[in-house]
Amino acid sequence: MREQIEAALRGSKAKYTEIRLEEREATTIVYRGHDLETASAVIDVGGIVRCLCDEGGWGESTFNECDHLAAKVEQAYESARVVHSGECVELAPVPAARDNITVSLQRDFRGVPLDAKKTLLRQYNITMLESDARVVDTNAVYQDSFSHVTLASSEGAYIEEERPMVGLLLMAVARKGDDVQTAWESRAGQSGFGFVEGRGDLAVSAAGRAVDLLTAETVVGGRYPVVIDPALAGVFIHEAFGHLSESDFVYENPKAQEMMVLGRRFGGELLTVFDDGSLSGLRGTHKYDDEGTPTRRSDLIRDGILVGRLHSRETAAKMREQPTGNARATSYRYAPIVRMTNTAIDGGTTSFDEMISGIKLGVYACKAFGGQTELENFSFSSAYAYMIRDGQVAEMVKDVILAGNLFTTLKSIDAIGDDFTWSHAGGRCGKGQGGLPVTFGAPHIRIQDVIIGGR
Amino acid sequence: MLEQLMRSAEQAEVVRVHRESTSVVFEASRLKRSQVKETSGLAVRVVKGGRLGFAASSDTRATARLMRNVLESAEHGDAVTFSLPAPQEALDVVTFDESIAALSIGKLVEIGQEMLDLILAAEPGVNVEIELTRSTEHLALRNHSGTDIDFRRSPLSISVEVRWVKGDDVLITYDQTGTTVWDGQHMQSAERLCRKLELARNQARLRSGRMPVLFAPNGSLVLGLPVMLGLDGKDVLKRASPMAGNLGQKLFSDKLTFVDDPTIDGKFGSSPFDDEGVSHRRNVLIDQGILKGFLYDLKTASQAGVESTGNGSRTLFTPPSPQPTNLLIEPGTVLLTDMIASIDSGLWVEDALGLGQGNVISGAFSNSLSLAYKIEKGQLVGRVKDVSIAGNVYDLLRNVAAVSSETEWVHHSLRVPYIMLDSMNVVSQQ
Repeated sequence: MREQIEAALRGSKAKYTEIRLEEREATTIVYRGHDLETASAVIDVGGIVRCLCDEGGWGESTFNECDHLAAKVEQAYESARVVHSGECVELAPVPAARDNITVSLQRDFRGVPLDAKKTLLRQYNITMLESDARVVDTNAVYQDSFSHVTLASSEGAYIEEERPMVGLLLMAVARKGDDVQTAWESRAGQSGFGFVEGRGDLAVSAAGRAVDLLTAETVVGGRYPVVIDPALAGVFIHEAFGHLSESDFVYENPKAQEMMVLGRRFGGELLTVFDDGSLSGLRGTHKYDDEGTPTRRSDLIRDGILVGRLHSRETAAKMREQPTGNARATSYRYAPIVRMTNTAIDGGTTSFDEMISGIKLGVYACKAFGGQTELENFSFSSAYAYMIRDGQVAEMVKDVILAGNLFTTLKSIDAIGDDFTWSHAGGRCGKGQGGLPVTFGAPHIRIQDVIIGGR
Repeated sequence: MLEQLMRSAEQAEVVRVHRESTSVVFEASRLKRSQVKETSGLAVRVVKGGRLGFAASSDTRATARLMRNVLESAEHGDAVTFSLPAPQEALDVVTFDESIAALSIGKLVEIGQEMLDLILAAEPGVNVEIELTRSTEHLALRNHSGTDIDFRRSPLSISVEVRWVKGDDVLITYDQTGTTVWDGQHMQSAERLCRKLELARNQARLRSGRMPVLFAPNGSLVLGLPVMLGLDGKDVLKRASPMAGNLGQKLFSDKLTFVDDPTIDGKFGSSPFDDEGVSHRRNVLIDQGILKGFLYDLKTASQAGVESTGNGSRTLFTPPSPQPTNLLIEPGTVLLTDMIASIDSGLWVEDALGLGQGNVISGAFSNSLSLAYKIEKGQLVGRVKDVSIAGNVYDLLRNVAAVSSETEWVHHSLRVPYIMLDSMNVVSQQ
């Protein structure tokens, strides 16, 4: 295969050519209530060629059949030639890496029989179903996937990488009359089967919380001081700010560049935010991104000031900044675009007790159901929450959705906890390409004046 | 492959998909990328020893591994009682148009440029992203009882995103159209966006409180999505849907009728059969507020003791599950202009943020609005910002003030009217 790839690259007429091939086998087991929906394996093989020509933009060819690479290169080249717009796409230089990254997994899931995987998941599923009579439905998912990715370029890069991923999602649905509440727990990582064994606690937690939510009142909508837990804080920083740091938002837009100008104050001095795709043991980590750029820590906000952003080679060149190793693609079916890896709010010095002690009436919001951003506007929903009354955590409330304006919200962060933690939950970022594994980290955070939608 | 599988299984189904497409992408208002895609795949199901197995592969030559995978999957599969369908009569639904199949990249570029010119003429300061894709898909399904389906689709999909940044003030709005038969509507997305930009030029202030709310077709997905989820036969079976056990009950205003219709020529959700070989038909789900039926595929239907409604839908790597095809909320009798004129002080909902977040299956929604306008004394007076709405559709949709006679196709396969609610709580940061 290497011969074929290198020959195809040599034969290309384009200024820059890149070939990325992927072979993946994945197993998925899903329980819905007592029914097994599927226990099945899929095989996904394919590739993408990208070309840049002298006077224009990108041409791409995506395919499943990996023979005849030379023909695919020709197709991508011809597509690139269609795209002439007078302005040439430049790529920031990166050293052409040659590397072979293999993994050695404890309890490699490829060697674990389908029956054992199914049994494990069934146990967790039954734990949820039998925990309480009010649990009427569950959704339990086990997934593993092992990919072999090859990236090669006309600049001489040749990187092979093995990419494992294993994960669990356990969701419980509780019902009382017409009221239906859902809670879930998940865990995923670039690990072996052991990562998901012995996690009955997650099943207990999901079922317990779904039942608790049945007796929780819907929060009264309004403005509150809010303390958010590390899990929700992580989603918040990803959605509300992280996406704005992805340079494909600003790089072609002079007005957006004004909004995201380096040196602008975004928050108080206590706020530091970074993205780091090189940290071991985290879901978003790889040694190189999908253009062959080494990953690293990128500070985005330091002491409240905007100091950096995330780049692909193209956005870096356009904005005359350094590439950061954030060009990622969900699979061979897509070209890489600027994506986050492992994004975090750095830890501070305030304990949780100190944080809530001054709050007469507020909300303690936990975990996230998901979030969405449209630049300055964000919206994310917490999985569950509690009222804070007179400096104490009080009754559980539900349907807590936090929405607001990024600029005012970041500036309203007035306390950062001393309990930083990385999330090992599953969770994917969709950005027009379907879900890409990412992770987030944060401590507890307090934000003043948050609008909460509710009753 | 079918023959080989039938040596060890009682039932078998093989689906083969092949798709080739070309796309052009405009970014920052200029032509940026061009793509050619050619993908294919095989998906297989068997019932062996009464248990269901599934496997899939995008490597169409790996048939030996694929068959091993599906048989192993069946060993661990759940017991099922449904039968894969025998050959059925189906309506002649048009899904293929040679003129779309033959669209050149040059023609796609031309359409994109025309759209760009229109939008930039309306508002020169915006950042426009357009993606145009034409494809030819070939779908084939065969099963052990002789069902042999083979048809082609020619989807043309156009999506546009407009970003307007003025200092800290940001508007992002989208539109998309899709068709499998050339309908001359390719400029519709651009035209709709121009209208939105015009209306958003002025700003207005809105105070929190209860007021009439008019949902434009795009925005009515806020109301429609929880209902769609509640109609999923799987959620009904599991009693996760609040509509479970309520067939025949009047759950909503009699102004609301929801229909799932996969038989409309040229629409994205249309085809003669569903993804399991069951023939497609029009299904009335809610009739003048009364719950008439749910959406089922073969497996969920057999578990519920009913027939499949022909809503079995799948992607290459996932087995079928019930999904809507083309979802229609039927038009009403009130003209949009009259609806607007009737509002003294209210809100027009165009785009909402965070659709689908939260406990949506329960009917609850809470969304901030990325694009909404204030209606004052019967006129749209300007864009309002930092506004959010929340509620539960099982309460709110019991009383609908009006449904328009005009409808629009949005999000590819939803045909929706304008829906006005008399009184809703609106939270404004102003």
